[in-house]
Amino acid sequence: MVETELTRARSAASLAGASYALLPTFFAYMLALVLVLMAHLARILLTPAIAQESPYLPFIPAVLVASGIGGIGPGVFATALTVLLVTAPWAHEPVLQPYGLAIFTIIGIGVAWLGERLLRTRNARVIAMQDLQFREAHLRSILDTIPDAMIVIDPQGIVQSFSAAAQRLFGYARDEVIGKNVKMLMPQPYRDNHDGYLKRYAETGERRIIGVGRVVVGQRKSGATFPMELAVGEMRSLDRVFFTGFVRDLTERQDTEARLQELQSELVHISRLTAMGEMASALAHELNQPLSAISNYLRGSGRLLEGRADPESKMVIDALEKASEQSLRAGQIIRRLRDFVSRGETERRVESVTKMVEEASALALVGAKEYGVHVSIKLDPIVDRVMADKVQIQQVLINLIRNAVEAMADSPIRELIIQSRPSKDGMALIAVSDSGSGISAENAAQLFQPFFTTKPQGMGVGLSICRTIVEAHGGQISMEQNRSGGTTFSFTLQGISEEDLDSDDQ
Amino acid sequence: MTNSEVIDVVDDDDAARHSLEFLLRTAKFDVRAHRSATDFLKLLPGLEVSCVVTDVRMPGVSGIELLKHLKKQLPAVAVIVITGHGDVPLAVEAMKCGAADFIEKPFDDDRLLTTVRAALSKQARDDEGVAERGAILDKLATLSNRERQVLEGLVNGLPNKSIAYDLAISPRTVEIYRANLMTKMGAKSLSDLVRMALVAGMLERKTPT
Repeated sequence: MVETELTRARSAASLAGASYALLPTFFAYMLALVLVLMAHLARILLTPAIAQESPYLPFIPAVLVASGIGGIGPGVFATALTVLLVTAPWAHEPVLQPYGLAIFTIIGIGVAWLGERLLRTRNARVIAMQDLQFREAHLRSILDTIPDAMIVIDPQGIVQSFSAAAQRLFGYARDEVIGKNVKMLMPQPYRDNHDGYLKRYAETGERRIIGVGRVVVGQRKSGATFPMELAVGEMRSLDRVFFTGFVRDLTERQDTEARLQELQSELVHISRLTAMGEMASALAHELNQPLSAISNYLRGSGRLLEGRADPESKMVIDALEKASEQSLRAGQIIRRLRDFVSRGETERRVESVTKMVEEASALALVGAKEYGVHVSIKLDPIVDRVMADKVQIQQVLINLIRNAVEAMADSPIRELIIQSRPSKDGMALIAVSDSGSGISAENAAQLFQPFFTTKPQGMGVGLSICRTIVEAHGGQISMEQNRSGGTTFSFTLQGISEEDLDSDDQ
Repeated sequence: MTNSEVIDVVDDDDAARHSLEFLLRTAKFDVRAHRSATDFLKLLPGLEVSCVVTDVRMPGVSGIELLKHLKKQLPAVAVIVITGHGDVPLAVEAMKCGAADFIEKPFDDDRLLTTVRAALSKQARDDEGVAERGAILDKLATLSNRERQVLEGLVNGLPNKSIAYDLAISPRTVEIYRANLMTKMGAKSLSDLVRMALVAGMLERKTPT
């Protein structure tokens, strides 16, 4: 669109230049010839009236006009023709006046030179004008095309220009805004304060938005407000001042950011929940040991008293029996709690590995580029569909990716690879590899234990949560040294093949 | 009732081990207690072992590893696995490895004692196993096609939702089938069910799709 408009404008300009150069030159020579001949005719007719002493006088206007229109060429041509007509032996009453001839020749050439200067100035002006028009067309096409809205105001806040994008963004037509105060495009309290801002700037010269840019709120014709990024430039032309504002609609970007934040807080919540599950699980184990011991002692004691028939022994047997039942009940409560926290919340669906990896890496790699981490993702489409609780598996991925990035903080090469491939028994394997310094054998053994950590700030729950989640999905998580000396964490998920999806009740 | 046989108890938790020893002694069993699987394995060459009760989570050699080791060296030994951290995959693994039973802590003493007695008597009269297998197969035959599919899913360690997905039915329906088949099989717990399936030779078979 812009391209064609520009080309068209440019070709029009060059065409005008060419015609200007060729046609008038020819025309100017013809004009010089005609004018000189007319002057010659006049001289013949007026011979009695004009003194023989000044034979060149009638030719002066012809030379002037020819020089003025045609420049040096036609001017000199007219001068030479005049000299020829006056001095030639075959001419009408030839006159030979050496002084007059010399003076006329000098004057003729001088006039021709002046005419040339005039012509050049005129030409230059025409070209400059065309250039200006071309540039303006170019500028307008740019301003109409850029997605940012452009508004120009004067120091009083009166709108001078309102671009096509501005019309789309604010919903006003150009005529509705131009000549009015720009504050109509702002909600309260800015609407009332804007004149004050302009006045303060005029008085103090203190720049609060010019050249800085900031996020402000705009108001559309419909009354709806929206976040926008505003960049303001100041333009001084002679003694006049204008402010140009570029406006970018941030609605979409803020929506995206809000969604991202929502997702992150969701993950934080889930990770707390899983940490709770992990804790409940660890607690269950720890409590079940003493509960089991209590129950065993009580039952054993009861067994020792078996067969005694005295009322007191019977009461003791009864009490032991009931106490042991209560310890079993406590075990039941813990078991149910653990089942609820570790499994009750999971909602497994058919999910795409590609989608989960892409979303998780987008979150986990925030800021990773600053560390200079090179990331490559190689996913096998054959194992794209898996049975998974998306949020939980993404949490596993985020955990592994973050660990990988951290592990490479001090490495010369920072290469992160996320890949998927089929594993045995129809499982899909997802692996996250780093080029860090690896994990020592003693640490590797207890890597997945709760509360084990090598990080100074770590809680040591990350990998144990990962293990809990993966195992709850019927998969396995493992760690191995890779060829680059770094670590590869891989886990498996139940894969879903096409036939699994197609099979129905048989 | 007198029991000449000695029961080997392996648990790293002092109270759990001692209480278990106490319980078994009150039931007139002789007990050898071991602090860890490693200690037990060191003594093993000089012992006559017939029944072992072991915990799962222990430092060094785990209960499952001990089970595998024992079954390899002394296939006749009955190993009862008890854990405070039980779940279906672990139960399946224990049963697959040849455990006589898989019991979650805290447990009813009758459950343990019955299993121990059964394990010991089973050793004495192994032909009873054949009869048991026949009884289980008879019960399996009473299951509907769907119930059987759900059972296969369960003993393969799949959660209800996966089974529901595989069979294209709702998880609630799976729960109903599950309850029905537990009743039909006369299974007291999931690990009991897993054990029955193992005896019937169901476990190695893959779930048809």
